[in-house]
Amino acid sequence: MSSYQLNVNGTVHTVDVTGNTPLLWVLRDTLGLVGTKYGCGIGECGACTVHLDGVAMKSCGTAIKDLGSAKVTTIEGLARDGRLTALQQAWCTLDVSQCGYCQGGQIMCATALLAAKPKPTDADIDKAMSDNLCRCATYTRIRQAIHAAAGA
Amino acid sequence: MSAIPESPTPSASLDRRSFLKVSALAGGGLLIGTYFRWGGATALAEAVTATPVNFAPNVFISIAPDGAVSLIAPNSEMGQGAKTALPMILAEELDVSWDKVTISQADLNPAYGRQSAVGSGSTPGNYAPLRQAGATARAMLVAAAAETWSVPAGECTTANGTVIHAASTRRLPYGDLTARAAALPVPTSVTPKDPKDFKLLGTRVAGVDNEKIVTGQALYGIDQHQPGMVYAAFVKCPVFGGKVASVSLDDAKKFPGVKDAFVLDGIGGLTSGVAIIADSTWNAFYAASNLKVQWEEGEGVSQSSEDFAKQAQALATAAGGPTVPEGAKSLNATYHYPFLAHATLEPQNCTALFKDGLIEMWCPTQMPSSGQRLVTQGLGLPASKVVVHVTRLGGGFGRRGSNEFSLEAAAIAHRLEGTPVKLTWMREQDFQHDNYRSNGWHFFTGGVDGAGKVVALHDHFVKVQGQVGGMNGGGFPFNVMAGSRVESSQIPASIPTGYWRAPGDNGNVWAVQSFVDELAHAAGKDPLAFTLDLLAAVPAAPPPGAGGRGGGGRGGGFAASKMVAVLKLAAEKAGWGTPRPKGEGQGLAICNANGAYVAIIADVSVSPAGVLTIHKLTAAVDAGLIVNLSSAENQVQGSMLDGIGAAWFLKVTIDRGSVAQANFDDYALLGMANSPPVVDVHFVPSLAPPTGLGEPALPPAAPAVCNAIFAATGKRIRTLPFAGEDLKWS
Repeated sequence: MSSYQLNVNGTVHTVDVTGNTPLLWVLRDTLGLVGTKYGCGIGECGACTVHLDGVAMKSCGTAIKDLGSAKVTTIEGLARDGRLTALQQAWCTLDVSQCGYCQGGQIMCATALLAAKPKPTDADIDKAMSDNLCRCATYTRIRQAIHAAAGA
Repeated sequence: MSAIPESPTPSASLDRRSFLKVSALAGGGLLIGTYFRWGGATALAEAVTATPVNFAPNVFISIAPDGAVSLIAPNSEMGQGAKTALPMILAEELDVSWDKVTISQADLNPAYGRQSAVGSGSTPGNYAPLRQAGATARAMLVAAAAETWSVPAGECTTANGTVIHAASTRRLPYGDLTARAAALPVPTSVTPKDPKDFKLLGTRVAGVDNEKIVTGQALYGIDQHQPGMVYAAFVKCPVFGGKVASVSLDDAKKFPGVKDAFVLDGIGGLTSGVAIIADSTWNAFYAASNLKVQWEEGEGVSQSSEDFAKQAQALATAAGGPTVPEGAKSLNATYHYPFLAHATLEPQNCTALFKDGLIEMWCPTQMPSSGQRLVTQGLGLPASKVVVHVTRLGGGFGRRGSNEFSLEAAAIAHRLEGTPVKLTWMREQDFQHDNYRSNGWHFFTGGVDGAGKVVALHDHFVKVQGQVGGMNGGGFPFNVMAGSRVESSQIPASIPTGYWRAPGDNGNVWAVQSFVDELAHAAGKDPLAFTLDLLAAVPAAPPPGAGGRGGGGRGGGFAASKMVAVLKLAAEKAGWGTPRPKGEGQGLAICNANGAYVAIIADVSVSPAGVLTIHKLTAAVDAGLIVNLSSAENQVQGSMLDGIGAAWFLKVTIDRGSVAQANFDDYALLGMANSPPVVDVHFVPSLAPPTGLGEPALPPAAPAVCNAIFAATGKRIRTLPFAGEDLKWS
């Protein structure tokens, strides 16, 4: 057990955990930020996607001891002052979610995509979102929502 | 009265009178006349002490004096949209504005009636009772207003949570009527709205939890937290039927963060295993992954997918080949589909607390009552001592109809008396301890005469032992051909199989609809014209329940006219029959399941190198009245892609009595890149009661794609998954 400091959604936390604990479980079990989901634990499903310094990363593959000074943003940290981002709003308006379990990860990934490519093509979306699985297969609406937010 | 549980709620401090009324509902009727709001122990306690001016004529509806309307969603939400659709039915009949209602997820309580979310039954099973519940409340509010104004109730109407007396231009909001309405006798019968007057049902309504989902606030089973909670993993033998032989619990306790470890065995309904209790999920997982356990593997270890295939072939050979009339063209084809895992993205989990003789559980379950039953039987507790809170589910697909994870959590909690515990399965465990979609083989023989008429159709269906996934020979297309025959055989096995979205149909419709396409081509006919001809031959009024599995007929009689209508609609919308160059093709398939009629047309292309692209899916669906158009469309789109993704990429292989796949790296779900850019859904307008909709569009999607691949390449897919098939052409 060691002590680690991390900045999550603008707040600095100190946690006492074993060093190999993935960021995913620090967020969920230690900090209570359960919007980041466990799906596979091996970086295959994307449900645990967060931003490290703005870059989409799978939090199940990042051990807390390796996090360094990267600033973490989770799905809970996207909306500012209760205002949804354009992507979050599009997700709601187009009623994308079915079970919704993967959607936090999908939105984190799509947010990073739009930051890099404000007007993505279908091919850009296919490529950027290829690691984020949706077991309900809501891909049709995910694609629509990304385009809608990009046009907003 | 024998079916009534000892007590309908955990802390059941109901008086005798209320209990009798609740009991009446458990017997099948609608609960009317209790003034309790039900929402688990806490809500119950509040209700007992609240001032009785809230109007709550039944367990589903409560209206406060300030006009706030609270509605109950009785069934689990797993993505099928029940938490939105079911309260919509209440709101429609109650005549309140949707944006003014608050919705709560029900815990398990017999007062709510049918709470199982299986068999696409949440909406069709609750449609009539919820309409009655809403209409009863509206009638009482109207009566209260009429009494206030001393006018006949028949002169009053309602709109947006207000009673209106048009003749005198008077209006009273529902909130002003709660006290008076609550004092009125509950009418014994009310007439719900005429469906043609529905204003809310049939519109697009966004999911009630959407904003929570997109901000990470929606809480699933895996997100539950209780003060002082510990985290558990439960390690079971990878071989089905295996048990713990020996394990060093001292070693287990040496892993970081591990607080306790013990073997659970001999509990009815529970698979033997090692429980590890830790201070975090990760530490529990880490210990579970690295702990050395000696297993007593048992006889199940000799089973393998390879051996099942040999046994299936041997059974077919032993059964002998059926004869095709002389002079007819004979077709023989073997179709095979593999086991599948459910792979809900949220792994199985449950949080439980045993305290003061009572188990309290937070379960992501499709069938809370069966979870409760497992725990009462396994731990020898009465139902009144097993409280089930229903959480949101990160996917269901039939997986969470079985509740062994609940029993595991309850058994662990029972050992840790006083300490809440969250049990989470590692993904690897989730793959290896599922109730799998059964494998299956169809050994078809068909005969087509010189005029293109089918003169023989025989199917010998083989699967591993298990109740789910059978084949019924009485349905379409077997019911339209004299001399058609379906035989079924089962291979002795102990692989746990169970309900996987559209059970039976999910594999059998693929096989049968693919073989029908083979027959069409053998007959030299267009597959659409061929299927319409077959449908024209369906007896006008088949006996109820004469459904079949393989194209049509689960859930009551098969109305060929409805199937013809959806097939023609799909063909029109998809532009069926437009000539296409080699390498491009359309395929069609149909399915009748859960009362719904579905026709799907797939447009694909296959490059000369054999790369498949699905360009478009077109579905036409008759599912009766559509409750929530947005969710209904989402269900049909998602279930089509689910069926296609499974057929394209997925299989579970049994080796040494255990599952070879362990995670998504060897069970590659359909992703965005392979998902077609256009997925069109067309509903047939209908005012008939809604049918199921979460499942029926899944079975015909894969055969539509496979038939389209044949149209494009001349290559027939007879084994799933087809990702490895050589589709090259020149």
